[in-house]
Amino acid sequence: MATTVIGQGVTIEGEITAEEEVVVAGTVRGKLTADGPVTVEAGGVVEADVGATSLSIGGSVSGNVSATERVDLLGGGRLVGDVRAARITIADGASFKGNVDMDV
Amino acid sequence: MSTLSTIGAGTTIRGSITCDGDLDINGRVEGAITADGELLVGATAALQSDLSARRVLVRGAVAGNVTAEESIVLEEGARVVGDLSAPRIGIRPGALLRGNVSTEGAVAPAPAKARVAPAAARPAPAPARAAAAPARAPAAPAARPAPAPVRAPAPPRAAAPTARVEAPPAPPPPAEEPAETKSRASNEPPPPVVPALGKGAKGSLRRGKGAR
Repeated sequence: MATTVIGQGVTIEGEITAEEEVVVAGTVRGKLTADGPVTVEAGGVVEADVGATSLSIGGSVSGNVSATERVDLLGGGRLVGDVRAARITIADGASFKGNVDMDV
Repeated sequence: MSTLSTIGAGTTIRGSITCDGDLDINGRVEGAITADGELLVGATAALQSDLSARRVLVRGAVAGNVTAEESIVLEEGARVVGDLSAPRIGIRPGALLRGNVSTEGAVAPAPAKARVAPAAARPAPAPARAAAAPARAPAAPAARPAPAPVRAPAPPRAAAPTARVEAPPAPPPPAEEPAETKSRASNEPPPPVVPALGKGAKGSLRRGKGAR
């Protein structure tokens, strides 16, 4: 499957549903659902609820996040919202405000 | 801007997309799409959107109006239901279109050609005419040699040929033009050509002469 890349300078307002990997380096507002990994690169801005198999955050995410596998908040990444995932890592230098639910 | 933006084949977007650069779309989109650069609608794409970009290349399905600052090209396999509006529009064999087509400025060149005088108006319509050039190609050579004898001594007229030569997509006309110009210059009197003068061309010639 191909990949969806929302590059720098791209703004999407609305609902995104993907059956593949999604890479966000631009701006997404609304809702983002992917049946694959989602990567928010440094400089990427997501103001949306995100659902994915795995989520890697190097940019900024505002919204509730759920992943069937894992969520990685990278150094320099910023997340404001609740996280629901089986695994989560928060790197040194990341900012995070919200609740974590790991289905314990 | 360095990263190329792509909407993959398995992706559906409901909402608007704004893009500063180029954008490839292979998935489904319902909502307006605006790009400052080139918009490529792939074969697997299905859009229910109004498209607006500098250049638009369509190989997939579009239901909505398409507007471009420079050009729209419908490639083979394109299915478009909606209006096209751009200075240059190309529809290749195998593309399907239902809607109005408007090449802004392409309407202007016809009268401008007959009048000859307003050369200043020409730069803008030039690209539009370029799009039409391939279709006109067979007729044009017949009409053009006609004014040759009178045209040769009149340098200002050169404006018309130059505009033609600028037209990039039609290789045959530029190739023919130099040959014609040369023959015109070397052996001045080709009288058999005169009867071939089109109505409009004749009028334009006379007017030009009177003006001078």
